[in-house]
Order: sequence, then C-alpha cells, then structure tokens
Amino acid sequence: MLEILIYGAVSSAIYAMLAVGFTLIFGVARILNLAHGAFYALGAYAAYVFTGLLHWPLFIAAPLAVLFVALFGVLMERFLVRPLRYSQLAVLMITLSVSLAVEQGLFITFGSEYRNVPSFVAEKISIGGVDIGGQRLLALIAGVLVLLLLWLFIQRTRLGAAILAVSQDPEAAQYMGIPTNRIFSVVMAISAGTAALAGVLVSPFLTVQPTMGLLPMVKAFAIVIVGGLGSIPGSILAALLLGYSETIVAYLISSSWTELVSLVAVVTTLMIKPSGLLGRRAAF
Amino acid sequence: MKQLSIIDLSGAVVVVALLALAPVLLNSNYFTGVLTVCVIYAIWAASWDFMSGLTGRENFGHSLFIGAGAYTAGFLATAWYANPWYSLPTAVVVAVAFSLIVGFPTLRLRGPYFALAMLSASAIMQRLCLIFWEYSGGEEGLYGLDPLIQSPLHYYWFVLAILVAAVAILTALAQSHWGLLLRAIRGDEATCQAAGINVTFYKIASLTISAAFAGLGGALYAHYQLQVSPPLFSVVVSITVIIMVYVGGIGSIYGPALGAIMLTLLTELLRSFGEYRLWVYTLTLMLILFFLPNGLIAPLWRRLTERFR
Repeated sequence: MLEILIYGAVSSAIYAMLAVGFTLIFGVARILNLAHGAFYALGAYAAYVFTGLLHWPLFIAAPLAVLFVALFGVLMERFLVRPLRYSQLAVLMITLSVSLAVEQGLFITFGSEYRNVPSFVAEKISIGGVDIGGQRLLALIAGVLVLLLLWLFIQRTRLGAAILAVSQDPEAAQYMGIPTNRIFSVVMAISAGTAALAGVLVSPFLTVQPTMGLLPMVKAFAIVIVGGLGSIPGSILAALLLGYSETIVAYLISSSWTELVSLVAVVTTLMIKPSGLLGRRAAF
Repeated sequence: MKQLSIIDLSGAVVVVALLALAPVLLNSNYFTGVLTVCVIYAIWAASWDFMSGLTGRENFGHSLFIGAGAYTAGFLATAWYANPWYSLPTAVVVAVAFSLIVGFPTLRLRGPYFALAMLSASAIMQRLCLIFWEYSGGEEGLYGLDPLIQSPLHYYWFVLAILVAAVAILTALAQSHWGLLLRAIRGDEATCQAAGINVTFYKIASLTISAAFAGLGGALYAHYQLQVSPPLFSVVVSITVIIMVYVGGIGSIYGPALGAIMLTLLTELLRSFGEYRLWVYTLTLMLILFFLPNGLIAPLWRRLTERFR
C-alpha cells in the first residue's frame, strides 16, 4: 500500500513536470509543441554526456543540461516556430519535424542502444519499511520544488504577471506595453527547461535511448487533455490521477496494461467533459 | 463548381500510362517493387488529403488506419488462414471501425484535440502490438502472408488500378456538393454550424472514407511485403504521408498522390544515405513549410496549364 503511495507520487511528479511545460506554452503562446518529448530526451542525453562521458559532478551537469535544452527551445521558437505562427497546422508540422530531427540526430550520434547514466544518489532510503531508490526520491522532491517555484514565479513576480496577461489576451497585453514576443521566449525556456529537468532526473533509472521522448509526450498530451488544455492546476491534478492509476494498475494487473490507462482517460474525458477537469477558463 | 477540364483529364491519362508502362520498359523486378510501394504510398497520401486537406483537421495518426488494415490482413492470413482476397474488404471494415472509435469523441470538438488524439492512438497501438506479442508477433510482427497475385507486375497493375479508382472517387467527392461543404468547414466551422450544417457528421463521415482507403492501402502493403510489423503504426509513417501531401499540394488529392510517388522514388535514390534519409525528409518538410506553403506539384500543374484553360 505504502509502496503504491510512494511510487505513484514519483511518477506523478515526473508527469506533472512534463505536462506543466506543455500546457504552459500552449496556454500562453498557443503553440502546440510536438517537440516537447524531444526536449525530455535531449535533457536525458545531455545528462548522459555530462556525467557519464565527461564525469562532471551533478551540481554542474544537471543545471547545464537544463540550460542547454532551454536555449535549444528558445532558438527553436524564435527561428522555426515564430515565422509560421500564422497557421496552427504549420506550427504542428514544424515542431513535429524538429522532434523527428532530434530523434534521428540522437540515433546517428549515440546509436540505438540503451545508455546508462550513473545514479546521482546511490543510497536506498527506507520509508516505513519500503525501500526506495534515492534517485527516485530526488526526482520526487525536485519535481515538487520546481512546480512550487514555478507557481510562486507566476503568481508573485512582475514577469509572471506579464505571462498571465499574455495568456489571457495577447493583443490587449501588447497594447499595455508587454513585449509579447519576449514573453513567448521566456515561457518556451521554462517549458523546455522543465521537460529537460524531468529527463535529467529520470535518466539514471529509466532507459536512455533516442525514442524515449515519444511515450512520455503522449502521456503529457493525455494529462493535459484530462486536466484541461492551458490549465496548470488542472494538469497537476491530472498528473496525480494518471500517475497513481498507472501505478495501481501496474500493481494489481500487470505493467503492460499501464499504457491503456492514458488512452482510456483521454477517451472518457473527451466524451464526458471535453474541456477537461479544470477547463481553459481557469487558465492558471 | 469547377468541372474537370480536358487538360486535367489528358494529364491524368498520360501520367497513368507512364506509370503503367514504366515497369514493362525497365523490365526489372526490383523496380516494379519500388513502384508498387510508390503507388501504395500514393493511396495513403490521397486518403489523408481527403479528410485533413479538405476539412483542415490535421490527422497526425494516419498510420493507425494503415496499421489496422495491414494487421487485419496479417491476422486473417496467419490465424484463420483465410483466402487473401477476403482481407481487402475486412481491412476496410476494421479501419472504418477504428476511425469511428477515434472520430466520435474527438471530432465533435474544435481545436487541436483531434490531432493529439490521433497521434496518441497510433503511438499507443504500436506499444500494444509489442506488449501483446503473443497475439501480434511482437517486434517481428506477423509473416507468411500469401500474395494476392503471384506475378509482381500484375500485382503492380492491380494496385495502380486501385490508386486510379481511389483518386477518381475521392476527387469526384471533393468536387461534389459534399467536398464544398468540407471546404466550408475548413473556412469557418461556426458559420457552417449556424447555417444548419451538421458539421460533426461531415467531419466523421470524411474521416471514415479516409480511413477506408488507408486501411485498403495497408492491406495491399501487407500483401506486398508478405509480413506486417509494429513500425506500420509508427508516427514516422504518418509524418511521411503528411510530408508527401505537403509536397504534392494540400487539398488537391491528385497532388499528394503524385507527391508520394515522387518522394518514394527520391527515397530510393537516397538509399545510400541510410539513416540520414529521415533527416533529408525532415529538411524537405522544413524548406517547404518556409518557402512553398502551398506545395510543389499541384500549384505547378495549375501554373503550367493556366493558358490552356
């Protein structure tokens, strides 16, 4: 029972990190970013290069990996997505082609075999008789911290207020003197950075390989649809729901059935309440 | 409504004649095989274009229908040892069933739900094929299908005939009142709804037609390769089809079909590039998105034939 509670929390935290970034860039810039999974994979590979190949210490490697991917995201938004923003389809196509290009690039550089990233925290920690890898616990704590910081940033800072304003009405925000395009860049950096952080954190205990981004991205879609496109609390709530129901299904039936959970969740949501648990009206 | 002009028809006759004669002139089994794949991709691209090109609801998981059709053919052949000819109609039925399952919850809605749901559905189907490997053959898939027609050349002609029929049917539908409604939905869905058009019905119906041809193409592909495997469901297949449509000119149906043939031939030329091939594809797509947003083939054909109309 406690096992389900802890493991469910870990996967929920990782899903939440992925989904929040995905929903943020959609809510603010109306960019449906199909390259989100590629950011996650790039983060994991950056962690592999910095710690596994170059043997840098964790406190340098992890922030560098996140910064690198955030920069990649900003450049992608500036040079590839922004000129095509007149058409939603063109944005979908360009982000999808970026994600394919990244996947192929990783495949060509690193090959298709699984890569191992050394654990950041080697010890096992025992909570109420349940042994849990320190790495998973680190992922949980970091995930909760990042989401908390993001919440404070959006609610309490001037830049956060500007982001909120743009998400509500980009044109009116621009009339008020908010540099909309710069806000898009900031949001893209946050979105790519959180996805990369999720990738960095899971890299020691999940397999690192070129196609690793696709399935988490599909999960992020599912969470965002269940939670309501563009709603951050909604996606956190949905991440908890999906993380726990997958863990419960894995314990009660078999881990192969977990993939079905997100599909069923998406179909039921779209049938019963298409706007999601906390629809777009309550944007943040 | 624009009627088919003489010049369009004669252009079509010349292209089909060239395609039909090419393998006879070159007389190489390898080349016939390449052309068969070209023509099957053309069926997929034309079927994608009918739904997504006309209504503007971009389908990012066309491989769901392709894979469903192919696996239906595979199951019929390996589990029930059915006559291979049964697999074509059965594949159509199964693909249509899949389109209804995905279409009903998602196409009622506006916005990006349909694209996301299709992408997720095809990715999850690919995973399911690997997870339930006892039934689906896992990574290796199902093999040992019988060819529909023994002679590769005759099979090629059969597939080509289906392509011609598919393009003819889809073009006729697109030129009809029905196609006009679909294009109106692309233009302004809310206005169509206000005008009393059952928008959801038209979107779902066009998706089932699109899925039917995709499933048929999937079964034809399965009986050409004589095996099916999970990559048929992959996002790469969907995106390849979408790139072909883009190159051909979205919304014109004949353009995507020709785009598919052209790009598949190009892929054969690029075979020596091996794993860089997909990069070339991706790059082509980016260039087209930036410089030729209306595609290459259909606009070119319109420009060339302008003065004869």
